[in-house]
Amino acid sequence: MRKKNRICKPLIFYSVLCSVLLMTAFGPLSGPVFAQEELASAIRRYKGYEVSTGYYEEYESLPRRQRPFVDVPDLRSSAFPYSTTSASVRSRSHLADSHQGIKFYWGRRCEDCHIHETLDIHTTRANLTCRQCHGGEPIAGIDHYYSPLNPIRRHAYVCAKCHEGAGASFAGYLVHEPAPGSIKAKEEFPVLYYSYWFMSMLLIGTMAFFLPHTILMGIRELFGKKKEEKNDTDDTH
Amino acid sequence: MTPMTRINRFTVIERMFHLFLILTFLVQTVTGFSRLFISTIWGKNLTAALGGAETSITIHKWIGILMIAGFMVHTLYLLTRINWGDLKNSLFGPDSLIPNRKDAKDLWKRIQWFFGLGEPPRMDRWAYWEKFDYWAVYWGMPLLAVTGLMLMYPILTSRIMPGWTINIAVLLHRAEAILAITYIFIVHFYIGHLRPTSFPMNEVMFSGSLPLEEIQKEKPAWAARLNQSDALNHRSINPPARWYRVFYYVFGYAVLGFGIYLLINGIIYSRYIPIH
Repeated sequence: MRKKNRICKPLIFYSVLCSVLLMTAFGPLSGPVFAQEELASAIRRYKGYEVSTGYYEEYESLPRRQRPFVDVPDLRSSAFPYSTTSASVRSRSHLADSHQGIKFYWGRRCEDCHIHETLDIHTTRANLTCRQCHGGEPIAGIDHYYSPLNPIRRHAYVCAKCHEGAGASFAGYLVHEPAPGSIKAKEEFPVLYYSYWFMSMLLIGTMAFFLPHTILMGIRELFGKKKEEKNDTDDTH
Repeated sequence: MTPMTRINRFTVIERMFHLFLILTFLVQTVTGFSRLFISTIWGKNLTAALGGAETSITIHKWIGILMIAGFMVHTLYLLTRINWGDLKNSLFGPDSLIPNRKDAKDLWKRIQWFFGLGEPPRMDRWAYWEKFDYWAVYWGMPLLAVTGLMLMYPILTSRIMPGWTINIAVLLHRAEAILAITYIFIVHFYIGHLRPTSFPMNEVMFSGSLPLEEIQKEKPAWAARLNQSDALNHRSINPPARWYRVFYYVFGYAVLGFGIYLLINGIIYSRYIPIH
């Protein structure tokens, strides 16, 4: 009996330990279980709601009416600074309603104007909608003092909604990065620009050398083989 | 010396490293492509076949960790292969994978030979393109590992370095992966399977040994060295068993077909994704 215990106890202990380890790595302890999914995937809930119900605007206030005297900082083109779309995006980034004064705004979708911004990793991979970060209407410009996306608070108000523990440095990740090979990238994000060109040159250089090299090698070996076969037949006859 | 003398080129463990790389590289390509192309219909189908985007990225991460472990084991193995007593010959000798002046000369001679301007170079054990293959993987893997770990733990990364480095990591990871995939699925497959000397398949990486005759044609300098040394007399290596040959032909062609499938679809669908 004692001897049996000496074998049994460690055996039970180790099998429990192993199953716990396996369960933590691959099994139910590794992530949310099926029933928890609804709460755990906060990323997808908003879009799911919009798509399933079709209500996009009901719970949001529309942008304010177009006002004849738009107070856009840094922009005074004439005595009557009436402006609808001539305000640059830069100045708009300081407005409380960044789309203020745009005609037919209510009939448009974000991607009608911001098509490039919908092609980033957050949208294509994690299925995020614009409003999940930029907020509902009226959408504040990211530099407006009270905007959740203002650099002074965006890591806590926006990033940390999904990326638990996000700090100000984390928020330095550029979600809408410029096309890495563009002039815009050269001005705004030179490291990205030069890494892109380095890697492109590496790819193009490797291929430009090895494609002709291997193809020529194949062709030349084919000729060599023909010659060899000819020699062989000469020997036998 | 009989005409069918066979020479061992790769040990069992070296062949296992190659097999490990084939399998992990293929899994990483499939899961990586499923993520890269997820906004296209092909990427969606690939992701669905892998069990969804979450499963796909989980596989990618675990296999990535496995590859890092494999890389470390290989580096340790590499250290055991160095003859510490005769370091100079071991590092810069003809059996070493380190590029040397002879490789540059071989390359120049070979280019001349392409155009019928001279004899082919008398190559030794490792041709310059074989050395390139080896070192391309050897520097590519740490780059992919470091950028991959940065993307796996972005919060931790942002505490150590500024957040914009994650943008760079995404770019480097993707660009290096595309470079590796393009090189392996075009150049490496062509050299291993399709060029006249290798066609239908260069078996040595699976069988481990090759006939001395073949070495005399392909690598005359190595054959000369082998003939000089008395190593030949001690070796009697059997050719690979028939069932094993059938097995690795099927395996090799399956991987080749699958790689070309991924490459062609990748090229077709690359216009629908923003790689810039």
